[in-house]
Amino acid sequence: MRDVSVVLKDLSNILGSKMIQTRILRPEKIYMRVQVGAHRDAIKFILKRDEDAGISAITGVDLGEKIELMYHIRTHGTIITIGTEVSKNNAKIESITDLIPGANFHEREVSDLLGVIFEGHPDPKRLILPEDWPRNIFPLRKDAPITNIPSKMGDSECSGDVKQVSGDERLINVVMGPQHPALIEPERFSLRVEGEIVRQVEPRIGYVHRGIEKATENRTYLQNIYLVERICGICNAAHTVCFCQAVEAIMGVNIPPRAKYLRTIILELNRIHSHMLLLGHAGLEIGYETLFHYIWRDREPIMGIMENLTGNRVITSFITIGGVRRDLREEYIPIIKTELDKLKDKMNFYRRLFENDSTIKVRTKGIGVLSKQDALKLCVVGPVARGSGVRIDVRKDEPYAAYNEIEFNVITYDDGDSWARFMVRLDEIVESINIIQYALNHLPSGPYRVRVPRTVPAGEAISRVEAPRGELFYYVKSNGSSYPERVKIRTPTFSNIPSFIHIAEGCNIADVPAIFASLDPCFSCTDR
Amino acid sequence: MCQQSLQALTHVSHAQIDEGELRVSLDFTLIFRILIFPGFTFILLLTMFCDWVERKIEARMQNRIGPMYTGPAGVLQPLADFIKLLIKEDIVPFNVRNFVFKFAPIISLSFFIFSFVFLPIDGANIIFDSCFEGDLILVLTLVSIANFLLFLSGWSSTNPYSVIGATRVLTQLTAYDIPLFILALAPAFLAGSLSISTIVSRQHIPFALMIPWAFALFIVALQAELEKDPFDVPHAETEIVAGYETEYTGRRLAFLKLAKDVQIVLGAAIAVELFLGGPHGPVFYGSSAFWCTLWFTFKLLVVIAFTEYLTCIFARLRIDQVLSVNWRLLLPLSLLSLAAAAGVSLWLNPLWR
Amino acid sequence: MVRVSPILREVLAHIFKKPATQKYPEVKPKVPSGFRGKQIFNISLCIGCGLCARDCPAKAIEMVNVEGKMRPLFHLDRCIFCYQCAESCPRGAIASSEIFELASASKSNLVVKPKEESADGGGQ
Repeated sequence: MRDVSVVLKDLSNILGSKMIQTRILRPEKIYMRVQVGAHRDAIKFILKRDEDAGISAITGVDLGEKIELMYHIRTHGTIITIGTEVSKNNAKIESITDLIPGANFHEREVSDLLGVIFEGHPDPKRLILPEDWPRNIFPLRKDAPITNIPSKMGDSECSGDVKQVSGDERLINVVMGPQHPALIEPERFSLRVEGEIVRQVEPRIGYVHRGIEKATENRTYLQNIYLVERICGICNAAHTVCFCQAVEAIMGVNIPPRAKYLRTIILELNRIHSHMLLLGHAGLEIGYETLFHYIWRDREPIMGIMENLTGNRVITSFITIGGVRRDLREEYIPIIKTELDKLKDKMNFYRRLFENDSTIKVRTKGIGVLSKQDALKLCVVGPVARGSGVRIDVRKDEPYAAYNEIEFNVITYDDGDSWARFMVRLDEIVESINIIQYALNHLPSGPYRVRVPRTVPAGEAISRVEAPRGELFYYVKSNGSSYPERVKIRTPTFSNIPSFIHIAEGCNIADVPAIFASLDPCFSCTDR
Repeated sequence: MCQQSLQALTHVSHAQIDEGELRVSLDFTLIFRILIFPGFTFILLLTMFCDWVERKIEARMQNRIGPMYTGPAGVLQPLADFIKLLIKEDIVPFNVRNFVFKFAPIISLSFFIFSFVFLPIDGANIIFDSCFEGDLILVLTLVSIANFLLFLSGWSSTNPYSVIGATRVLTQLTAYDIPLFILALAPAFLAGSLSISTIVSRQHIPFALMIPWAFALFIVALQAELEKDPFDVPHAETEIVAGYETEYTGRRLAFLKLAKDVQIVLGAAIAVELFLGGPHGPVFYGSSAFWCTLWFTFKLLVVIAFTEYLTCIFARLRIDQVLSVNWRLLLPLSLLSLAAAAGVSLWLNPLWR
Repeated sequence: MVRVSPILREVLAHIFKKPATQKYPEVKPKVPSGFRGKQIFNISLCIGCGLCARDCPAKAIEMVNVEGKMRPLFHLDRCIFCYQCAESCPRGAIASSEIFELASASKSNLVVKPKEESADGGGQ
């Protein structure tokens, strides 16, 4: 925090009159409002001071006459927000993709949903909304008429960017289309291949877009917990914890210590089951069906523990504003510990398998290399970043729940290839088992929940959680009524997809599913 | 044992030809042998049974149950799959080359089934006296042509996935035919003949025990011919949907799948005949034909179980890795093993000639 | 030299082990207590406040008129089984059962009606 206040002081000196206002977003996050055009200077300065800085999210809020744009920069382990305003009728602002290439997707999303034009953006195409959505309706604006839209109206462009043969006559277009056995959820990736080598990748996401950010504005905070839980089935605990933390920060509520430990336990159980799901799925992608069946069989005790703890195997519905909904029975704790010990032995077996099996190594070592500089430039998060040697983990940078009281290691590997990413996840499973066992041994007694009022006072808050796939970012703004004003969700896979484009160029077609599996994409999260 | 039954039955059909009358001899035994046992129906039933055994063994190795509803322990599952495909709609895409697309699976299936003529299953060939010197070469050539027809079936459907799958099939089969041929000659050296029936009848000790290195390499080359893991790449599900099968539906898909299953049984049968002594085995009581078939089936299941085990323990290699395994590893080793087998045969020949 | 992968022995050993999958539907899984299955509604405890319908995230509860009093009707085809209704109810009139086989061919089966006699209305 000291570094950050120094940065802030220097920044305000540099910007001088262009800086309009600073305030503190809860909990202890700095927000700086600057004039339009000065945002580039501020970001350039932050980048100069910290080379590893990256963009976490770009939020747009409709304020009536103006649209407020917030650039959330991740630096020194915390978030500094640079905010600026543009008028609604003439919503133009300069792009920052030349400074931070990872801001590409974020800017396209804001221009899709709020209608802000980013000048200088290298690829200003539609990202989230379908091709035949009318060009002049921006869903996240408060006055957008989103009922009774006739389909296929106006100047809809067909999906003509997928031509059979590109300008270069030798390239064939192999569409890893919305339906494909390698993808668990639909997205379209057009691979331009020459023989067996991929030359170009063109992604098109948005097939699972359900408009959840807009839907949160019509439901109470209590109902919104269940809505954001269903953004992604696999990392549902992380979404609820992040949302509840943001709302609790606005309200100024402190949850009891037992609730913090219980939240930690359910978050780590979620992480274990998500990583095991991915490792099995990766086995399927490289043709190793036996590995898939074995890992999913060993995943079953974890699902049984979650069912006992929360009442359901996958969608846990365990977290609420003010704590957790159920308590952990004392007689169940030894059973959990026995199952976790058994799982630790099995993970030893899988570790030896991944290190010794020659067919796995031949399919994953040296394949899909993402260097450390590219990982920082593209602002990737989670095991993808940690597999390339970038040491970011929200649990260590800004501890939440009970993580400031529990010792654990942040796993990094320097290779940057698919094998490194799988090994990061394997080792994280063992770390999670250790965390849960520590939490079970040191579980504080007391209440597991505090009662909170139903209305939330006006305010805004930022909350970050380390989901299994990386850093999950929530920005919640409340205006004092029972419905939120704006909920911005930036999921980890949204930051990781641009790295796939970068990695896949130059690889064989046969390696594309394996690389894809190592990135652990969750498209329900990406599209919301 | 099996020789006597062979001569007895040969005598019957020869007597009819010697009569001099040029009538088309609709010999009941011949028709029975071609159509029912050990011919067409028996081969198809054996294929479905071997498919069931494969699926059950793969399931047990992966700690699950496998087929379990249709018939006792799921024995009728392959038949149910076949019938289900037969009654589905048959779609022919717009731009395909009609004749090749429609007939390649059926011609390939018929080549595979025809190759069984030259393999003694119950002690004698299906059509008597159809064996001749060099029918080993003929069988292997028929297998190659039938595989080429599978490639054509993928090439004729104008879908990028099928085209990529078909080119992969052709590349892999062209590469792996060579060590397969070379290794198949090793038992021919030991037996001193190129006829499968003669090789079978000269195996007093199974050749797998005499030249085990050739047997091991033959199983590896067979794994690549039959496109099973780790050489699964032509129909890699997660990359190119279904490879050359992508555009096939309904009846044609049923025949294509049946052709592939018969190919697996044929490959294992060739391995059994050349290396494991074919249908020879101790006869306890009753007719020798029954016991020969039983021993043949038993050895076939052993080979299939072992190839299934190899399937379960490996991931899938990329096409360039598959080819580098062939040119750098398998081909030199197969030449060396052929030379070694020739040496062994020279040493052993004075002993039993 | 290539190190032997540990999978070889593991796969062979599995041929003799019991399968990990169950022969459903002959063998049904046991669910733990606290499982969030079909709702059981105890009409004698209900006071008709309507908090359950107000808090339901999926709008699956409809207050209907039963003999002059407002009682909740649960639409199971909209329900997401979060049990926020059970938490919001001030009298604890809604409880969970262990019934999870709720698939049905007709929508009229997928409701839990507020009836006087039986605890689990018009379900399967």
